[in-house]
Order: sequence, then C-alpha cells, then structure tokens
Amino acid sequence: MEKVGIVGYYQVQLQSEANYGRYEMIFEAVRGALDNAGLKKKDVTTVISCTNDYYDGRTISNAFSVEVGGAYLADESKVEMDGAHAALYGLMRILSGNHKLAVIWGGSTPSCYPYHSARLFETDPTWERPNAFVNDITAGGFQMRAYMEKYGVSAEDIAKVAVNNRKNAAKNPSSLKEAQYPNLTTREVLESGIYADPVTELMVSPLCDGVAAILLAPEKQALKITDKPVWITGVGYNQETYYLGDRDLSTSKSMESAGKMAFKAAGIKNPKDEIDVAELSEVFAHEELIFSEALGLAEKGQGVKLNYEINGDLPINPSGGALGGNPPCATGLIRIIEAVKQLRGEANGYQVKDAKKAIASGQIGMCAQNNILYVLEGGN
Amino acid sequence: MSENKVIVANKGMVRADFNFWVGRYMDKFYDNFEKKKLVGNKCQKCGNVFVPPRKVCGKCNVVIPLEENWVDLPDTGILKNYTITPYRVNDRTSRKTKPQVVGMVQIDGSNTAIIYRLINIKPEEVKTGMKVKIEWSEKPKGDPSDIKGFVKI
Amino acid sequence: MGRQVAVVSAGFSEHASKRTDVSMPELVSEAILDCLKNVPSVGIEDIDAFVNGNMPAFEGANVPELWMTDWMGARNKPLMRVTTGGTTGGSVAISGYYNVTAGIPGVDTVLAVAFEQQSVGTTSVGLASVAYGEISVLNSLGMPYEELTRLLSGGAAIGIASYQAANYMRRSSITEEDLARVVVQNRHNAAKTWWTHLKMPDLTIEQVLDTPYISYPLRYGMVCPASDGACAMLFTTEEKAKDMCDIPVYVNGVASVSHETAILGYNGSGAGQLDPSEQLGAMKSAELAFSQSGISFPRKEIDYAEVYAPFPNQELMWVERLGLFEENTASSMYESGVTALNGELPINCSGGVNSTNAIGASAMERPAEAALQIMGKASNQVPKTVHTSLGHGWGGIINLITMMVMSDEPARKFK
Repeated sequence: MEKVGIVGYYQVQLQSEANYGRYEMIFEAVRGALDNAGLKKKDVTTVISCTNDYYDGRTISNAFSVEVGGAYLADESKVEMDGAHAALYGLMRILSGNHKLAVIWGGSTPSCYPYHSARLFETDPTWERPNAFVNDITAGGFQMRAYMEKYGVSAEDIAKVAVNNRKNAAKNPSSLKEAQYPNLTTREVLESGIYADPVTELMVSPLCDGVAAILLAPEKQALKITDKPVWITGVGYNQETYYLGDRDLSTSKSMESAGKMAFKAAGIKNPKDEIDVAELSEVFAHEELIFSEALGLAEKGQGVKLNYEINGDLPINPSGGALGGNPPCATGLIRIIEAVKQLRGEANGYQVKDAKKAIASGQIGMCAQNNILYVLEGGN
Repeated sequence: MSENKVIVANKGMVRADFNFWVGRYMDKFYDNFEKKKLVGNKCQKCGNVFVPPRKVCGKCNVVIPLEENWVDLPDTGILKNYTITPYRVNDRTSRKTKPQVVGMVQIDGSNTAIIYRLINIKPEEVKTGMKVKIEWSEKPKGDPSDIKGFVKI
Repeated sequence: MGRQVAVVSAGFSEHASKRTDVSMPELVSEAILDCLKNVPSVGIEDIDAFVNGNMPAFEGANVPELWMTDWMGARNKPLMRVTTGGTTGGSVAISGYYNVTAGIPGVDTVLAVAFEQQSVGTTSVGLASVAYGEISVLNSLGMPYEELTRLLSGGAAIGIASYQAANYMRRSSITEEDLARVVVQNRHNAAKTWWTHLKMPDLTIEQVLDTPYISYPLRYGMVCPASDGACAMLFTTEEKAKDMCDIPVYVNGVASVSHETAILGYNGSGAGQLDPSEQLGAMKSAELAFSQSGISFPRKEIDYAEVYAPFPNQELMWVERLGLFEENTASSMYESGVTALNGELPINCSGGVNSTNAIGASAMERPAEAALQIMGKASNQVPKTVHTSLGHGWGGIINLITMMVMSDEPARKFK
C-alpha cells in the first residue's frame, strides 16, 4: 500500500449539550482542519462525510451539510458507519490517484435525538425489535459477562480500565468535561449504579455532541503541505455475524481479522513490541481489554495485566478513549486524531514519550460487530 | 400456509409504524408460534440448527431450501448469558425501580441462542448454565411476543 | 497509483410493488445469487470485501447491513456502507470501484449491493422528512406557515420534479406529449427486461395523457412506481477480470458531485430558489467522469446511456446536461427514434427508473444495465455493438449526481 498522509485535523470541544447547531459544528471542524494544514476550500477535491440519518433525524441528511462540509461542487460521498470508516473511503479515494486532498468529517449531536431508540432500529425488525430485549444497553452487559466468565476476569479489573481512561481524560482538554475524573477509584466505578449488570454507569462511554475532521493527501503532496505528516501505513476492517447468540462475545473476531489485515499491510510482525501507543474505540471499559487481546497486544484473558497507563509499556487510550466522550459517528475519527497528536508530539499533558507507531480503531454495531483498525507512523 | 406475515415494529421514541415482511421462513416459524411450538431449520452442510430459521447459513453461505430441513424443537434450553438492567430500551432518563433480567438461551438441539426476558426469578438466583423453559402467552398471535419469557426449571 | 477496475457481473432481484414473500435480507440475497450465477468461476470465498447501501430511513432499519451480514455472505469479511439518498446505488457502485482501485492489501474483488424494500414503510413520509427536520428551526426564525407547506411539498420527490418539469418545459419549449413519448418508450423497454416492475408493452401516448395530473405537468401515468428490489455488481482488478468473464467491462471514470445548499427552502438559498433544471452538479460530474475516461466528445463516443429519470422530463434534461445531446434537442431525438433500442444512441433500454424504482437500488441498476449492454448480456440487448456506456444517478435534494463511465477497453487516464 502506498503511503497516505494525514495532513490536518480538528476536533470541536465535546459537550453534553452543545449550545450551537450541528451545521456550525461541522463548519468549525472542517474549517479548523483546513486552517490546521494551511489550506483553502478550493484545494479540496473530495469530501467524505459520516453521519447517520437516524441520528440526524432526517433522510439524506448529508445533502444538508454539503456547503458547511466543504463539499460544494466537490466529489463527495457519505459513509454511514463510524468516522474511522469514512476515513477509509477517503484513503481509498487518495490511493486511486483521482484526488489530491480529501476532507473526512464525522459526528452527530445525541443531545438532540433519542440515541438508544435509534440504535434499536439496528436490530432485526422481524424478530428482535418488537420485544426490544436486544439493544445496545443489554448487548454491553452480555459482552462483559461473557468476557468475565470465559477468562475469570473480575469486575474490579475492568473498573481499573475505566479509572485509567477517565483519569487520562482529565488530562485531555478536548475530552468531555463530564467524563473527566482526576481522582477516580475502582470502588467508585463499581458503585456507580447498574447500567446493564455487570456493566456499571462509569464503565460506559458518555454520549456527547461532537464533530471531528481530518485531511488526507498523497505522499508527495503531504510532504509539501506539512512538516509533520503522519502516514497511514496499514488498514484493516472486518464485520462479523449479526446475531449475538451466534457469536463468541468474549472476544472480537472482527477486530482480530481487522488487526491481521492492518498489521500485514504495515509489515508489523509483533504488534506488542512495535506499537508505541494505541487509541481504541471502547464503548464500554471491557471492550478495551477485548480489543487489545484480539489485536495480540496481550494473551486472551490477560489484557488486564497490560501496563496501559500513559507512561506504561503500551499506553492505551492516553486521551481517555471513548470513555472520555463518545460522539456517535466521530468517536473513531477522534481516535485517529489522538493518535496523530501523539505521533506529532502535540498531545500536551498526555504525551507518550517517543511515539513512532500508533494504532487507532473505530467500531459500529452491537458488541462491536464491525471494526476498523489503522496503523499510523510519524516522521518524514 | 397462512397469508404473508408482517411484523409491526414500532418500539422506540421514533413514532412511525413499519410493517416488515418476514419472508417465508419466518412465516412458517411464527405459524408454529400459534400452536405454541418452536421450530428451527438445519444447514444441510454444517448441520447447525437455527432458531429462528434462516434462509442462508452464514458460515457455509448456502441457501437452506424452504421445504426441507425443518427441525421440531423443545421449549427448554440452557441459559448461556444474562444481564440485568434498570433501563427501558429507549429511555435512559427514567430508571425503573424493578430491573429486568434478560437472558440469552440456547434452545436444546439448536446451535444458536435467543434473547428473552427471564420471568419469576430474583436477580441473585440467576446463574449461567441453568435450565430454563419457555413461558408461552395464553393467546398466541403468531409474533415474537408469544414468548413471554423463560422460567427456571 | 490506482489500479484499473473492471465490472465482471451484475445481478438483480425481481422487482415488484410489494415483495411480500421475502424479508429484506432475503431480497438482497436474491440479487447477490443472481450476480454470482453469471460468473460461475467466482464463489463467495473469492469475494474480498462488500459494499452495501440503501435509503436509510425509508424502511425503518438503521444500518441494516449489520443485520443482513449472513444473507450477503459477508460474515468475517471487510464491509463498508455508503448512503447518499437517491444516488445511494450509484455511490455504492462508485465505492465498489474505489475499494478495488485503491489497492488496499487483500482487497481485489468487491461485491457491491444496493436495495430498497419500500413496501415496508411509507416512502413519501421518508421523503417529506428530508424537509421536515428543518421545520422547527424555520418556524422559530419566523417563516410563515404557507412557506412551511411549500417546503413539505418541496421535500417529496414529486414536488421537486413538477417544478423542475415546468422549468424544463419552458426552457426547451416542449409539450406534454413529448413527456408522454419518453414514458411510452421506457415502459415498452421495461416489458422486455426480466426484472422490471411496470411492464406495459402496449402503452400509447394517448393513454398516458388520459391519466389525471398529480402535480402539473406530471400525470399519474408519467411517474415512476415505488418498487421493492435489489441490485448487485461485482468489481475486480483488470487481471482477475479476464479469468472471470469473457468481456470485462472497464470502469474508466467515476464522479459524484453535488451542487446543493445547506437548508432547503431557506430564503435566499435552497431548492426553491434555484432553477432546478439547470443542474450544475450534473455538468460538473459529467465533465469529471469524461475527463477521467479520456472522452472528449461524449455525443460521438458514448454508445449507450442509462440515466436516472423517475420522471420523463428528467430523462430529457439529463441527456442534455450530460452532454449526450445539444441543449433543447432531446425531445426531437426521442421523436425521431435516435434513443430507441435500434437507434444511434439508445437510452434506458432497461425501462429506466421510470418503470422500476427501488430507490436505493435504482442508481446502481443504471451502471449495472449499462455494463450488461457492453457484455452483450442485457435482457433488452441493443442490436449494435456497445463499446462505451454510461450509468448515471440522481439524488440528494435535487442535485447530487453519480456518474460511471464504462468501456470494453481499459482507458483510464490518471490525472
């Protein structure tokens, strides 16, 4: 795979209830990314947006963000998954040689719509939806129990992930304020109230409003645009089967396959040693463990033994991860941005020392049915 | 065969009725619900038994013929997984005082698990691996609500 | 640098107003099975990745590609979902092209599938919500009630199409009879294509003009039906394509350009204030796709075209805006038989969207049929040899255009 550079990025401040409109947020993100790279609207040749019509509450919602997203008379399309998947489409468009600068933006405002209702519309309407026992809330509970029972992992171990990520979020000014807990203890996490047993409230990524944008350019152009390009050297994406009853929820098959695909493309043989920092989209605390095991960063069931703190052997989610704010459709894109910050040395307050190679992931579906993983490398 | 069945799915805060054609496989499945009977179908290649029945086996990617490979199943099964939540699906702002137990049950003789509520059981009594049985509603209509839930046996 | 991409197969499900015998995933699997049937050497294991799309809110199923994984054969495979409203099918096909051309390691053969089961929900409600979402905002800004109702009528496709038709009729001085003639040609063609919805082999212009108006100048007999259906296309690399089929169809140019404003009907911008028959986005898309494929004289170089026209006036408009005919001459081309099956430049020999409209699938059925014409495998095959064809898609609010230019020669120009 040819190298493609991430040449600019921008993330709006995450808020539980943004006091300004969706379109302003999109504009701020796209304009911000262009300013970050010192570029103009006329340089943009293609725009890939990522929203969901159910989240936006209207059909063909992308048609209304054409102007603010910089897509007016540009070659545009929309990926209805996570922003990280939209970045994949942008990457493909750059690799095709048809385009020299791609804007990718994604995000939504869950303060304006019933998120869990919209998620319920994902379930099989001919069987599961009329009763609604299968939904994104119960799926999280099933997944955590399957993981705990399979490997004998305790709820305390999983609470530690939530503590670490929320403490990290406190160091990251662009994370959601309500998600920042500088002095959190595992006990507080375990006693924060049942969400879907054994998941407790503080193990869940808090929904928030937010939009993020990145710019992609081919190698030659990227080197001219910025002194600090970050290269996408590998990508993998995969989807597993739908019914929760068909799946082994204690692991993530799709993440495993996505990881293999991405590591192969990037020539990574031993991810545990070669990766310096990981930004994973964990909707629940236990998903961070499941993902890191699926990616081969730890043995199955041993994810809790990883030293995943900012100054640890393999820092995971130094930005706070999705537990530091989960704006649907932007979460994966923000993981990419956070990995870029680490590689460019711009993660003030939560910088991982000498980060050269990073991974970033995005997901959609119940129990992360579809995952995407990027391998990113810094330096010219 | 009865007339082609539709399932009305209108749970959630988005108020719009959608009538989903269930297809011939699920149609047969729901017809049996009216007799308080559970059926599944079996992949001719890998032998996996599906509840509810499917046209395509995802593992083998073969079409299971409509008229063949039907399997009568008992209404008992094993609890493979469960969760307890105080939330109604669509509304996280109102926690219910009485949490509901939702279980993933593998029906005996099938290779997949279905998800329903566990009824008449205290949360602390629930254990994975326990035997459970379907509680049918008194007047089955031939839709997913005919299974009221599972009870411990 | 991107790789040359080829289409090796296309498949359809049967289309009807209500496919009550299948669930949504079963409908999709029908098209996929039909697509793979045409390339016997290709099994589901040879497919490296999938692209899926439909019009999301119409069926009340959010991201349904997750649910239908097994039915598509996509279990444990890479999958991407692309949706752009009316052009979804075209966008899915274009994404299939980009999946292959990008050369992502491990992704060579890509199956793209687009579908719609409109009988599940109410499409008009879905379309109205295009405009509806903004209403609360507009009301608080002091927009009067009459303008809000106009907005609603603008949201549904027929509303837009009728004033687009009126605009076009004024620009090009055509009559209702000219519109009816396009309909008759389409419905006759549809009768000869196996998967279509409205098959009317004996329809006459008089019969069309005898039906009542829905919204002037569009009559009941002129508008597209609402269908249930699915379409699949198989894309692969130039090298692999040669082993898979006799005549690979090379994709030489793609574009999806939109010329659209943020808030519909907002005073000073939006659909209501543009001349909806101008179609800047279509012209820009055509320019982009033709330049990629090295076509300088579309009128001479394109042998066959499938354009996305739910309404007859749009078919006339598109063939002009895409550069296939001079401005204001399209209706005379239909009259003189240039666009007929045995004409110089046949248009929509599948019957077009005017005869079959499963919205999410429609914009993919255009390039799919255009590719089949090159392969010589279309149900309603044109007698002349087709070397270069184009498949077009229309959507967004009024102006998001997808283009796919295909040929039997790999002639892609890299910029």
